[in-house]
Amino acid sequence: MIQTNNLTFKYNNKEHVFSFPEIDLKEEESLLILGNSGIGKTTLLHLLAGLLQPKTGNITINNVNINTLTNSKLDKFRGQNIGLVFQKKHAIQSLSVYENLQARLFFCKKSKQQNTINALLEELNLSNCKNSKVNEISEGQLQRLGIALSVVHNPQVILADEPTSSLDDENCKAVINLLKKQAKKNKANLIVITHDQRIKPFFQNTITL
Amino acid sequence: MNIWKISIKNLKSKSFYTFLSIIILALSITLLLGIQQLKSSFKYQMENNLGDIDLVVGAKGSPLQLILASVLHLDNPTGNIKYNEAKKLSKNPLIKSAVPISYGDNYKGYRIVGTTNEFFSFYNAELEKGRLVEKSMEVVIGSNIANQQNLKIGDTFVSSHGLVENTIDVHDDELTVVGILKPTQKVIDRLIITNLQSVWDVHNHEDHDESEHNAHEEDHNENEDTHMHDDHDEDEHEQHDEETHKLEEHHAHEHHDDDKEITSLLIRFRSPAAFLTFPRKVNESSNLQAAIPRYELDRLYQYTSVGFKTITWIAYLILIISGITIFINLYKMIKERAFDLALLRTYGASNFQIIKMVAYEALIVAFTAFALGFILVKTGLYFMLKFTNFGYKQNIIRELEFQDILQIGVLVFIMVTLSVALAIYPILKMNISTILSNEK
Repeated sequence: MIQTNNLTFKYNNKEHVFSFPEIDLKEEESLLILGNSGIGKTTLLHLLAGLLQPKTGNITINNVNINTLTNSKLDKFRGQNIGLVFQKKHAIQSLSVYENLQARLFFCKKSKQQNTINALLEELNLSNCKNSKVNEISEGQLQRLGIALSVVHNPQVILADEPTSSLDDENCKAVINLLKKQAKKNKANLIVITHDQRIKPFFQNTITL
Repeated sequence: MNIWKISIKNLKSKSFYTFLSIIILALSITLLLGIQQLKSSFKYQMENNLGDIDLVVGAKGSPLQLILASVLHLDNPTGNIKYNEAKKLSKNPLIKSAVPISYGDNYKGYRIVGTTNEFFSFYNAELEKGRLVEKSMEVVIGSNIANQQNLKIGDTFVSSHGLVENTIDVHDDELTVVGILKPTQKVIDRLIITNLQSVWDVHNHEDHDESEHNAHEEDHNENEDTHMHDDHDEDEHEQHDEETHKLEEHHAHEHHDDDKEITSLLIRFRSPAAFLTFPRKVNESSNLQAAIPRYELDRLYQYTSVGFKTITWIAYLILIISGITIFINLYKMIKERAFDLALLRTYGASNFQIIKMVAYEALIVAFTAFALGFILVKTGLYFMLKFTNFGYKQNIIRELEFQDILQIGVLVFIMVTLSVALAIYPILKMNISTILSNEK
């Protein structure tokens, strides 16, 4: 569950004030946010992830108003409840695929779930490269690792920032399906932010900025 | 998974920089530890070698030279003094004991010291095997010589003239080993000790041999010898009685006590008060020189400490450079891996955990370098001792004291902490959102 109201944001050194439409997602609902570059898509995603503080308005995730949390509580909340997917860089360079997932669980204090890692790797077809360094695996594998990292800790919300822009049609479709599947499995909200029109058919809820 | 593991993985992933940091830091630690070890060994050895000698009286000249020759047995003596004069001086009530020493010869570079049995008490030296010297041409040897020259009780050898090993100027008379001392870690370990008579005998014998080839000198010697024979004092007679017939013969050609010379007199005072008056009295009222070993060695430290200081400063400089290297590597890592660090923050890592991760990396480098430095010092000094002959023929290395290691350890720790403190600034200022949105 995720709700926003009256959300605006202004960068310190800029005049422009971004204002964002209301978002109201029930459990397991997903949302596609479309918009061209520079319109504040990533800003909205970072607001939802609690990485930025809004100028006005607030964000509620699972009945928690994240804008009232202290920094350390917000760090913890984000670590445990939110999964982020990025466009290209997904994982810690010095660690292997498996170690990245271990580190993800360690930092959100869910190391007890380590036994789920292998199943997840199997599911995402990453078992054969689980001991490889991140810079040794293919782009497709890396993208799937990104998805694994965003769901390994059973988050409430999966936020994906342009997850498909650098992928071909085939992989684009595969990634979106995987994201939807994992979100459903975790009973999590999935919010995808992109300018990639190819994804549009996969979502019922769409907001265009 | 924990932060230590991630730190180690980070270090492994940039192994070249890690290697470089460790090597530079290890080098400075090696130098610092090495200097400390040499310095403390040097000082300890010097002071140890002083034994209980409060004052040395010898011929006029450089007081440092007198101490080096008579106490540390390193340099040449300043000259000889008359035995009679020394004996007169020994009667002073301020003196607890006065031990005459006399040299002139060596065996393979080891000095042969003619002295009395009281000499051993300066070093608390005890016999391991055999007995003390009872008559002329008998020797007691230090443990180093026994080991290195493989000499046993009953072995004989001939000495060569002078204090430096040579094969040209060799004496004919054989010296017999009658005793071997226990190791003391002091200078006596590398000395050959005999009585004064042996030294005189060897040299008078030489005089005699030479005189046979020189008619003019023979006359002169003969005259002296006759004169001398009449005036033997009681003490000398006792000693002579014990000696062999052959040696008696030498004595016929010997100088009288009046002409007998020794190198110097080693003195122990009854009370420290004597330091104030006695040395000055000797220096002012006789043609002898009195030198205080402790004072002269302090002067020696002042000369040598310039070298030690220079190397110490170089070591500190390298330490600072290695600190800067560590700082640059950490800073570079933090900048280059900004995205990784931001990613860890989205995983729920706190700033403090990220700082810990960086600090652990620095600590691992520092600890590895310290261990490496320690090993390098140990092996380095071992090989240095093995392959160089100090001309000193003594094991001078002392174990490093924990205090010294701790001191350098703390220094390295402070430096690493400082590097970390400077390098983590970008972490504190890190804007996760900006870093993540600049992904492309």
